Amino acid sequence: MKPFEYRAVHSVEEAVSVLAEYGSDARILAGGTDLLIELRKQNVKTPKVVIDISFIKELRGIESPNGTVMLQSLTTHSEIVNSKVVQQYASLLTGAASVIGSPQIRNKGTVGGNIMNAATCADTVPPLIALGAKITLKSKTNSRQIDLSDLFIKPYQTKAKPEEILTEIQFPKLSSNVKSSFIKLGRRNALSISRLSVAAILTQDKNGKITDARIVPGAALPVWRRVTEAEILLIGKKPSKELFTAAGQKVSEVMISHTGRRWSTEYKEPVIATLVRRALEMCVGDLKDLKDLKDLKD
Amino acid sequence: MKHKIIGKGERRVDALGKVTGTAKYAEDFNVMHQLYGKVLRAKHPHAKILKIDISKAQKLEGVEAVLTANDIPGDKVFGVVVKNQAILAQDKVRYLGDGVALVAAKTKEIAEQAVSLIEVEYETLPIISDSEEAFKPESIKIHGDDNQFVHHHVTKGDIEKGFNESDFIIEKKFKTQFIEHSAIEPEAVLAEPAEHGGVIVTGSVQNLFSTRRSVAGALKLDLNKVQIIQSTLGGSFGGKDEVMTAMCCRAALLCMKTGKPVKMVNTREESMIESYKRHPYVLYYKWGCKKNGSITAMEIKCIADGGAYASMSPFVTWRSVVQATGPYYCENVKTDVYAVYTNNNYTGAMRGFGSPQVNFAIESMMDELAEKVGKDPFEIRLQNGFETGAVTATGQKLNHRVSLKEVLTKSAEAADFLNKWNQYRTSKQSPKRKGIGLACSYRGVSLGAEGTDAAGTIVSVQTDGSVIVSSGITDMGQGAQTQMSQIAAEVLGITMDRIQFLNTNTSRVPDSGPTVASRGTIMGGAAAKKGAEIVRAFLIKTASEMTGLDVMSLDLKDNYLIDTNNGERLASFNEVAAECFNKGRPMYGFGWHKSPQTSWDEHHGHGEAYFTFVYGANIAEVEVDTETGKVDVLNFVSCHDVGKAINRNSVLGQFYGGVAMGLGYGLMEEFNFEDSIPKQLNFDEYLIPTSMDVPNIIPIIVENEDAAGPYGAKSIGEPSNELAAPAIINAIYNATGKRIYEIPATLERVLLGHKLTRKGERGSVKKEEVLADSCKIRPEGR
Ligand SMILES: Cc1cc2nc3c(=O)[nH]c(=O)nc-3n(C[C@H](O)[C@H](O)[C@H](O)COP(=O)(O)OP(=O)(O)OC[C@H]3O[C@@H](n4cnc5c(N)ncnc54)[C@H](O)[C@@H]3O)c2cc1C
Repeated sequence: MKPFEYRAVHSVEEAVSVLAEYGSDARILAGGTDLLIELRKQNVKTPKVVIDISFIKELRGIESPNGTVMLQSLTTHSEIVNSKVVQQYASLLTGAASVIGSPQIRNKGTVGGNIMNAATCADTVPPLIALGAKITLKSKTNSRQIDLSDLFIKPYQTKAKPEEILTEIQFPKLSSNVKSSFIKLGRRNALSISRLSVAAILTQDKNGKITDARIVPGAALPVWRRVTEAEILLIGKKPSKELFTAAGQKVSEVMISHTGRRWSTEYKEPVIATLVRRALEMCVGDLKDLKDLKDLKD
Repeated sequence: MKHKIIGKGERRVDALGKVTGTAKYAEDFNVMHQLYGKVLRAKHPHAKILKIDISKAQKLEGVEAVLTANDIPGDKVFGVVVKNQAILAQDKVRYLGDGVALVAAKTKEIAEQAVSLIEVEYETLPIISDSEEAFKPESIKIHGDDNQFVHHHVTKGDIEKGFNESDFIIEKKFKTQFIEHSAIEPEAVLAEPAEHGGVIVTGSVQNLFSTRRSVAGALKLDLNKVQIIQSTLGGSFGGKDEVMTAMCCRAALLCMKTGKPVKMVNTREESMIESYKRHPYVLYYKWGCKKNGSITAMEIKCIADGGAYASMSPFVTWRSVVQATGPYYCENVKTDVYAVYTNNNYTGAMRGFGSPQVNFAIESMMDELAEKVGKDPFEIRLQNGFETGAVTATGQKLNHRVSLKEVLTKSAEAADFLNKWNQYRTSKQSPKRKGIGLACSYRGVSLGAEGTDAAGTIVSVQTDGSVIVSSGITDMGQGAQTQMSQIAAEVLGITMDRIQFLNTNTSRVPDSGPTVASRGTIMGGAAAKKGAEIVRAFLIKTASEMTGLDVMSLDLKDNYLIDTNNGERLASFNEVAAECFNKGRPMYGFGWHKSPQTSWDEHHGHGEAYFTFVYGANIAEVEVDTETGKVDVLNFVSCHDVGKAINRNSVLGQFYGGVAMGLGYGLMEEFNFEDSIPKQLNFDEYLIPTSMDVPNIIPIIVENEDAAGPYGAKSIGEPSNELAAPAIINAIYNATGKRIYEIPATLERVLLGHKLTRKGERGSVKKEEVLADSCKIRPEGR
């Protein structure tokens, strides 16, 4: 790791003014679980200054103002897992946060860092996009709110400007009749990045017909998005294995239309279809797969 | 006989220091004026060195020495078997981990910068990254004029006749992978100039005496001028041998050159680039079998990728050739095991030492045989397995108690193997399927006919009755110091808290060979017993004079001198010790143990390979997700005949750790290369099992005391690690009906039956997709 200047800031105001001064020569440090590893690499551009935002109190916490849930960007994965609000109104996010890394990583890693690092395997992003999350980016001169799904350009690259800081993430609460799920497939049972993941949200009417569906695969597409092509197959229908299988296959097709046939397609093609089917089954309460959702309370 | 301390789960003698942080690992040693050493490593896996320009590095402020191979006063290469490993490359680099130049500087940062200022001109050479490629006559030679540098063979009976007598033949090819040792502590040393000439090196060294020979050879020093001191080791698993020798030589060179202490510590990345790995094998197994399930012929060929240097390959492959048939009767055997040079990391000792590879093949074959003849895995092993008096493929008659059937039966019962095996075999509806698998093995204890096998331990009673024990056997975390202390305490009739064990120092204890081959307890422990018995005799003699009682009616027990006639305590151990000293008697016992004779006829591939063997059985119960390829190991039974468990907790620790490590071997660990360039350099991408992956493990300790070991003890370190993988692979077969022939059984192999490689596709894909696919926690730099 090469030497750099370290600045601890104590307010968003202070953060954005340092950012304004250094621009792309600055890097923000939140939990540091991505950044420090990156800086340790030989071939990485060393920033002039690393701005430690972890002391900013206003960037911590989970609130639920008028029908929404609001996560401050420094909220850790552990805090998300333990949040009653998130459990009640966005349980798929609880599920996703609970399978990130290990207890240590969950205690340090923040949702803001997870988003801004923009790795395709970032586990909180698929649920947040499925939830329709909006994020707030602030700079010294400006504050703007954008859809999370509009943030990403490609893996590890976002549309945020170098002088901007992510302050909060906000999404509408899921009402109690809406069901959601998150499935992660990794090469081992902890400290494992997603080989593939799926976030799903389903709403059914009184007769069991699906009225709303949202499916966001992780580590599958170069840029996350809801796979509406698969979602529309579900609308107006009643859940069935065949239906969910068809939706899974659709996601798989869409994935290949984006990535082309590549070395790993042989594996991902059938498996993403399976995971989508399972995620949807979990939503309608096929309990036999629920154990995929590892130990929520942890 | 009833023991006081042997067999108990005594606290480890090194536990307190380790949990309180007072234990000193190599990196913890710092002295005034120390410099930091860094290595410039090769830029290409195979290239001629045309020119090395160190001038810019030398000029950098704070740099005190920049050395190349030309600066080595003595031997420029080392090697226990074949002396061809470069301390610093001379004319050629043979793998990416080769050192080319050394720097010593005032700080680590300056040393790193200086390394980057060294300019090397290379002429690249073709790369051999595949062991079978290395065999071809037209392929480029890495050393001398032949890439094949080992061929061991074993023959028994008449292989032609054996196949003719068979009803059918099973012929399969298996492959295993490179494995990283993954000790938590990377390589580290501190080399200091000695007061009266020579050098003192303190480090994370497994085999101190071979390292000392190499350092002395490189520096042209007598052995008595080179002191290698073992720091507390943060794990080794066989991995702190040659790579540490190289580091010790380099640090010592820099130290002698500058006259100052030199510290060297590898980062994890440097460690992964340079360190040796477990050998990947390609294994061809051909068995002739009878319809009744017996085996008439075994023809076996194994090719080990030795990487850039010979290292321990000749010995590793020798163990493979001896054990390649498994513990099974077969009259006609032909086994050939080869090792070849490639430009991959060199491969050497790792827990198991040539057995994990062959065990995977043998135990897979055994299950295939069972399937073919309609028997179950348990029955087929009972039918073919060795009994006491069996004659092995090398012609050795097993005169000790052969407990193969005992371990098989005990583990099968504990796991409810047969019921589950039958049930899982037929229930194939759900996508998540359970399976259960069995594997067993026999393993030669200690070095066997590899070479001289002897060790020394010193037991020194102090005037206050406390005791210092030291040995030429090193503790790397496996617990050797605790075992030896327990044995000494048992003999002396004292409690463990009276004993202080010293880390090994080559100048203060006798050359006891390497601490390898699961020989620490059996060899070091036997020596400790003898050493303690020598002191005990003097103590008892003194006690007899003190009490006027006959030596036969005196005993030492629980820190007291006892009258054996009535159990009365006559004096404290401390009083006896003090009196012994006053009488001018020695209280210093030097125990030397030489192993029983072994023999080997390399020409015919025959011999009494090992003086005794151990037997083990493992049963794995898995759940396979047949839609994703994910395998979870749910339950595990590990059963080993250890001879005698000197420390019950240490033995259990070996059982558990061995299973965890074996699980990694079977399911996830894989050190990959692309054109001999390592594809992963840290634990974000080299995956080892976490505690969440390790199953519930039921340990079964079997104790058939062996005449060859102290209190009957044999081995457990490596046995515990050598059969988990095949048990898991057999369990996957039981669940899915599909066999894995190449480990590890990753998601892709289980689902698709083969591995996916990116190779050849680079550049042909659109850029935006590349990262989506190879998702890493971090980018490769922005
Ligand atoms: C061992 C290990 C295991 C892991 N496992 C997982 C896993 O299973 N799933 C997963 O998704 N991730 C995993 N990660 C990655 C990482 O822990 C997460 O992405 C985490 O959420 C990052 O948060 P952080 O606060 O540590 O980010 P940091 O490292 O502090 O920052 C990450 C990036 O975001 C930028 N940044 C941070 N906060 C802001 C902000 N408020 N505004 C603008 N930019 C910001 C930083 O400049 C940096 O570029 C793992 C990491 C490790 C080391």
